[in-house]
Parts: sequence; C-alpha cells; structure tokens
Amino acid sequence: MDMDRVESREQLDRLAKEFRYIITDIMCRAGGGHIGGSLSLVEIIITLYFRIMNIKPDNPRWEDRDRFVLSKGHAGPTLYTALAYKGYFKKDVLLTLNANGTELPSHVDQVITPGVDQTAGSLGQGLSCANGIALANKLQNRTNNVFCIVGDGESQEGQIWEAAMFAAQHKLDNLVVITDYNKMQIDAEVENIVSLEPLVDKWRAFGWEVFEMNGHDWDEIYETLNKAIAVKDKPSMIVAHTVKARGNECYENRIECHFINIPDEDERKRVIGGVCTDDEGQPFHFNWTEGKDE
Amino acid sequence: MKLHEKELRAVYTDTLIELMTENSNVVCLEADLGKSSGTVPRVWEAFPDRFFDVGVAEANMIGISAGLANEGMVPFCATFTPFATRRAYDQITISIAYAENPVKIVGTAPGVTTAKNGATHMCFQDLAIMRAMPNMRVYCPADVYELRSVVRYMAASKKPEYMQLIREVKPAIFDESYEFDPHQARVLDQGSDITLVTTGLTTIFAREAVAMLNQENIHAEHIHYPSVKPFDVETLLESVKKTNAVVTAENQNVIGGLGGAVCEVLAEHHPVKVKRLGAQDRFGEVGDVPYLSETLGFSAKDIAGACRELIKAK
Repeated sequence: MDMDRVESREQLDRLAKEFRYIITDIMCRAGGGHIGGSLSLVEIIITLYFRIMNIKPDNPRWEDRDRFVLSKGHAGPTLYTALAYKGYFKKDVLLTLNANGTELPSHVDQVITPGVDQTAGSLGQGLSCANGIALANKLQNRTNNVFCIVGDGESQEGQIWEAAMFAAQHKLDNLVVITDYNKMQIDAEVENIVSLEPLVDKWRAFGWEVFEMNGHDWDEIYETLNKAIAVKDKPSMIVAHTVKARGNECYENRIECHFINIPDEDERKRVIGGVCTDDEGQPFHFNWTEGKDE
Repeated sequence: MKLHEKELRAVYTDTLIELMTENSNVVCLEADLGKSSGTVPRVWEAFPDRFFDVGVAEANMIGISAGLANEGMVPFCATFTPFATRRAYDQITISIAYAENPVKIVGTAPGVTTAKNGATHMCFQDLAIMRAMPNMRVYCPADVYELRSVVRYMAASKKPEYMQLIREVKPAIFDESYEFDPHQARVLDQGSDITLVTTGLTTIFAREAVAMLNQENIHAEHIHYPSVKPFDVETLLESVKKTNAVVTAENQNVIGGLGGAVCEVLAEHHPVKVKRLGAQDRFGEVGDVPYLSETLGFSAKDIAGACRELIKAK
C-alpha cells in the first residue's frame, strides 16, 4: 500500500483495522492505556495524515508543512500509529509505548517524538498553542493549515473558550479544529457531568464556522475537512460525532473505556479479541514481523 | 533625559521596540495590562501586526506564546506577576517549559511594588515557583541599564525565561557599559564583615543599608543577583569564605526564593549562619512601598539591622 496517499475505501478500511489492532495491542503490552479516546479518532487521524495533510516525513520540521496539534494528548497512540505508517519512525517503535525510556509517552511530546508538532496532555492547552502556531504561520506568510483535535470532556476547560474567542477575533482561517464528540468522559457521560450542549450553537456564537460530521465515515470526514479548509476569515470547528473505543467489542461505547488496565495475559487475550475479527467475523491478526520495516 | 531618569517600564517598551525593529520575529503579547507594562499604546501603535492583546485570559496568552515560540517567533508576554506566574502555572510548566518553547514571560509590579492593589495582586512567590520549574530561568533586574540588557539577552536566547519588571523610576546602579550574564552575580560593594545578597528591588534598598553600615565602620560585601536561576554559586562561596555569615533580602516570601537558593547552596557547600529577610510567610496588604517594606521587614533599615545582629552572633 502506498502510504503517501490512501484513497480507496478498501485500503482505508484495511488501514483502520490495522490501526485498531495495533493501538489495542501496544496498550495491552504496556499494561493499559487510553483506549476509548484513541479508537474514536482512528478514521479522522487516518484521513488527516493519509488524505489531507501536506507533510514530509523525512523532514518533520519542514517549515511549510501542515501542523497537527492533538490537544487531547492522551490519544497519542493513534497519532503514533499514523506517524509510524508515514515513516517518521519504524513500526516496531510502537511496541515501546510507555516503556521505560521510550520516545512514545502516553501523552504527546514535541521534544522526544519525531513528527509531533506540539506537546499536549494537560487538557485545555493545545488549542491555545494551535492559535499561536496559526498566528505565527500567518505572520510568516505561509499557506499551510493548522489542524487541532480537542476532546469533549476537554471542552469543559475554560481555556478552550478563551482560545475560541481569540481565534475568531484574529480570523485564524488557517485553523481547523475538530471536537472528538464521543459523549463520554472519565467519570460518566458528558451530559451527566457538565453538558456541552448546544455545542454547535456555542461554537457558532463564538464566531466560528461550524460543521458536523460522522467521525467514522470516510467520505463525510474527507468532504467536511475540505469544506473547513476552504473557509475564509473565520476559524472552523468540526463537531465530529464519534463512538468511544470504536471497533473494540470489549469496550466500545462503554464508560469504563477511557483508560483500561491489562493486569494479566487472560485480560490481554480478551481485549485483543475485541479487535480480532474482520468484516466477515473472521479472525484478524496484524503480523508485527511482516509489518515491521527493514 | 538620561536613561535612569526614565521609568523601567518605559525602558522595557523602548527596548522591545528596538528589538522588534531589528528582528521581525519578535512579538509582544499583553493580557489587558499593556498600559501597566508600558507597551500600550506605544508598541501597539508601532507594530500593530505584531502586538496581540489577548484580553483578560492569561492561560490563553501563555498557550498562544508557546505556539508562537514553537514556530520560531520570539514572544514577550507580560502581565502582573501573580497572573504571569501562579495563575497560569500549569500552562507555563507544560506548554512552555516542558515543551521547550522559548517564551519570554514578564511579570510586572513584583511584590510590594503593586502597592495599592493590595494582597490579591501582591505576589510573593513567583521567584520560588518559577525557580522550581525545570527549564525555566528567572531574572530580576534592578535598574534600567540592567533591564535593557536582560531584555536584549532574552530576545537572543533560546530558553524559556521569566523576568520581574519593576515599573517605576529607580536610581541607577549600573551604566551604559552593563552587559547581563545570567551566570554572573554582581559584587556591588566589597567587604569582609558580612555577605549581603539581594535581587531586584531589595538591591536598591541594600545600597542604602550598606551606606548606613559603612558609617559605623561595618563593611558588608553586597552581591546582587540579576539571575536567581541559573544561580552563580562561585561568587557566593568566594564571599562567604571571607565573611562567614549571610543576610538575604527579597521582595518575596522567605520560602523558596532568593534566600532559599542561597541556603541550598550554603547547606551543600559551606554552611554558615544565614538571616533571610522578606515576607515572613504571610500575604501582603495595601500600602505604599516604604510602609510595606518596613512592615514586612526588608527595608534598608531592616537590612542594616539584620547585618549588625548577625555579625554580633558570628
């Protein structure tokens, strides 16, 4: 499969399946991880990295590249998988997730991980940083885009709304933000903690161009991102309706999926089993040896 | 007008305008206290495209600055010291220091110099908390010449840095030839009776204290630390080997700031008696600077008194 650009539905589906297997597998090997909010972003991050973003994996800090800020930094494993497939580092580095001395920590880190544009993980901060990046790129007369993904629970942070006002004030139309609206946070459903509704109206009221999409539908994601990129004089928000832990039968759409612990081999087999079937219900297995780069 | 006849904030603004003229990457950010820092209206008018007032949103200012620095810009962002440090502490820690984004944070009206704004705005912990942050450097210039040099140094350095900015006119200590080096403390007066360590505002008070002591034939070695971190260990140890006693004075709580830095160094390398002057683990209150520095115990008179007492106790 050519990893520069992946367009066919069949290849995208295959890629998503491999991503879900790998994300689950590396978390299981690490003894646990933020599986819910990682799996909810698989289609969106694949679309960004394999169909939308203008990047050069052999030159991670290329000045004219599109930038990506994963403000909900705990979804790092999905980004790392994309970066490995794009060639920023070898695929077997993914197996070091959260290991002692790793360059792939649970929350994204611009200093130690090739291809990560902005450190994040303390929620609410990444969108402000994305504002600064977008502002700098405008000052530098660049024509790139800055993409940022925020969480729905993260949107309870006041700083998100400080950043929302600033981006609109300064007409940051090179900024496209996506809310991973999987409707769940650590303790319970978002609506049972502090509701974000009406979320679309809120962003519109803050002066943003707002779109909604099914965050697991390839065509919708691609088309909506392109519409958002084309917006002028305003920042864009895409409220992506997603399913937390999408694609792992053991945890999909369950409150306990935010962070899983894998205490033993039995649990590891059970959770891996959750992503081990293909569309026909047949066993699916990603072969690390075959998948490994030379 | 001579440089030292100007307010420090005017010199901050002058220097920033010079830097922005020389380097198109330098940008200025404020959080609705630009008039207080001195950048509104002058920087705004001179560089409308590189001046950003984020409004009353300090956490956002820190994050935006981090993003700007990540892209190679040189952001100077300023607000009152409590809001520039403790209010946005996690944002500074993660988006700037941990991420190694070289933002230049300026805390204005440090400690008692916020005066009539009172306890809510009177930050006595910024040196301690900023010093405790890995990757962060902490500077406290004491006069306009030093301020100008520190600001120029910050614009050229690739490190996250925090600087206290006293706003008002203060007497000259240095002159046009001054060049800031964060690794070099300044011995302002030589003496062998006691070592007196100060930074920022208390350096000005200590000048007066040293003059009082000289009249009594007491000779304090007065060392000014423009950088609390990195901390120049050698200059302190060299002095203490002569004097065997240290008084520290700071416009801060005595816990964790300059006095803390001095005690850490001495405890490890050369234990001697130390008296730390500053707010004695209490909050501030409204008042003018002479009243507050006397009430809190770090006026020139208090500094001279502490030196006399410690010399007797040696």
